[in-house]
Amino acid sequence: MDARRPWIGYASAAALAGACTVAGLAMRPRFDIVNIAMVYLLAVVVVALKFSRGAAVACAALCVAAFDFVFVPPQGTFTVADVQYLLTFSIMLAVALVVSHLLARGREESEARAAAALEAETERVRSTLLASISHDLRTPLAVLTGASSTLAEEGARLPAAEREALARSIYGQARELSEQVDKVLQMTRLESGAIALERDWASLAEIAGTVLRRLSDRLATHRVLVEVPADLPLVRVDAALVDQALANLLDNAARHTPPGTLVRVRARVEGDGIAVSVEDFGGGLDARDLERVFAKFQRGGHEAPGSGMGLGLAICRAIVRLHGGRAWAEAVPGGGIAFRFTLPVEPPPRAPAEDEAA
Amino acid sequence: MTEPRATILVVEDDPDIRRFVAAALRAEGHQVAESADARRGGIDAGTHKPDLAIVDLGLPDFDGLELIRRIRAWSTMPILVLSARSLERAKIDALDAGADDYVTKPFGVGELLARVRVALRHRARTAGGGSVVRMGAAEVDLARRVATREGRPVHLTPIEFRLLECLARHAGLVVTHRALLTEVWGPTHASDTHYLRIYLKQLRDKLEDDPVRPRHLLTETGVGYRLVPDE
Repeated sequence: MDARRPWIGYASAAALAGACTVAGLAMRPRFDIVNIAMVYLLAVVVVALKFSRGAAVACAALCVAAFDFVFVPPQGTFTVADVQYLLTFSIMLAVALVVSHLLARGREESEARAAAALEAETERVRSTLLASISHDLRTPLAVLTGASSTLAEEGARLPAAEREALARSIYGQARELSEQVDKVLQMTRLESGAIALERDWASLAEIAGTVLRRLSDRLATHRVLVEVPADLPLVRVDAALVDQALANLLDNAARHTPPGTLVRVRARVEGDGIAVSVEDFGGGLDARDLERVFAKFQRGGHEAPGSGMGLGLAICRAIVRLHGGRAWAEAVPGGGIAFRFTLPVEPPPRAPAEDEAA
Repeated sequence: MTEPRATILVVEDDPDIRRFVAAALRAEGHQVAESADARRGGIDAGTHKPDLAIVDLGLPDFDGLELIRRIRAWSTMPILVLSARSLERAKIDALDAGADDYVTKPFGVGELLARVRVALRHRARTAGGGSVVRMGAAEVDLARRVATREGRPVHLTPIEFRLLECLARHAGLVVTHRALLTEVWGPTHASDTHYLRIYLKQLRDKLEDDPVRPRHLLTETGVGYRLVPDE
């Protein structure tokens, strides 16, 4: 049903009534008039199914008129000689009304159900968000308030080492807080469609190198293996966003797997795209959780609080989708998770010409 | 390494940010002039003749960008920009307008002081200075056009040399894609970023110990490149 252009319904009603009349004329030599009425009835049902109630009633009226004028004796007039045809007319009108009424009710009900489901989902997200915020934002805020007020009010009486320790915990918590707030803002931007991709040629090896350097402190507890082939083609992406997507996967691995375990970053050509993966060997998740972890504010399995707000993977997936790729997780044999995403590859740009022998 | 004391102008409208930036700079032994808006900053830059200016991009009266242009009209003093996260475009515009580097808010003071040190050193060096760039096991003599790695000669193409030269002139500072492309390939190639991807990879393969995790030829995602030589 196209609510914006109601005239289409009426136009279709008229066209179908006309088509039925033509068909009826063709049937006339061999079929009974009652069967021709059936063809008109079919048109009424079709219009009632596809368009508004008004169009259905209009179609029924047009069909009755055409049927009466062309086929019902005396032909060429609207006079009805045989009273039984009045029943035919009434049935056509009744069918139009009943079908369009049933459909309208069905539509309203399914819209109401969808609205209720959406509301429930929104409510669920809102309450998880609130729970998450109260935990992951309030803890650092408590530290910030407590430690900084201690410094401001008792600083002069504290030993220098104590002052520095307080200041450092303020610094650490503030950075964590800033990271979480960035993620909330980024998720909001991605969801509202406020992000326009700034695509340019980029090298995944370069992006991986930058991310590993930036996260080197956090990843210092893990063994990181990088496997990026030297001849990997360039990709046309928003490098800053792909950087974030990869960083979130690595951050995720660092947060959720035990120190000393291996984290493997790989990129390779797969089909007509490039597949990037971050594999960890930290125990893995249930098959059900492998998909669930990509939802907002979800943490895998039984995570301890303070392990992040559960936005990193959702952001990663949103970024990858924006680029026309796919992001998912699968189990690694032996207990681990491989987080993978793909990016489409475009025909490579013209390379700069320089005689290497020069 | 002891750094010379310098006069530094801080143009930042937020009093709390201004306070800790100024405190950290004074703790390092620098003299600090503080301005709360761009108009005042422009005047202070003229009267104090600082060795370095730190300019916030989101100033209340007119844009930090405009202040950078005005300072650049008469001075080559290094300019560091303070900019909000994830605004690559604003950083690039500031660098193209004449800023030398940026620090992204929120920043730790260690990061800011490191940038200040590099920028001041850059100023001290522009007069002349060595043409030898040391990067781990690799050494490149830009004047003599000779490169070695672990003592063995490495062949660099003329374009690789020019690229390295351009980065080395701003050692420690970020250089935008546009600036590199314009200087090495000419203005008609100002947006052929893939040239840089290809050549930086070649340079890393030839000079870095681990080309995938470079320590000297660094990528500033979405902005440009930074050459960090060994001291």
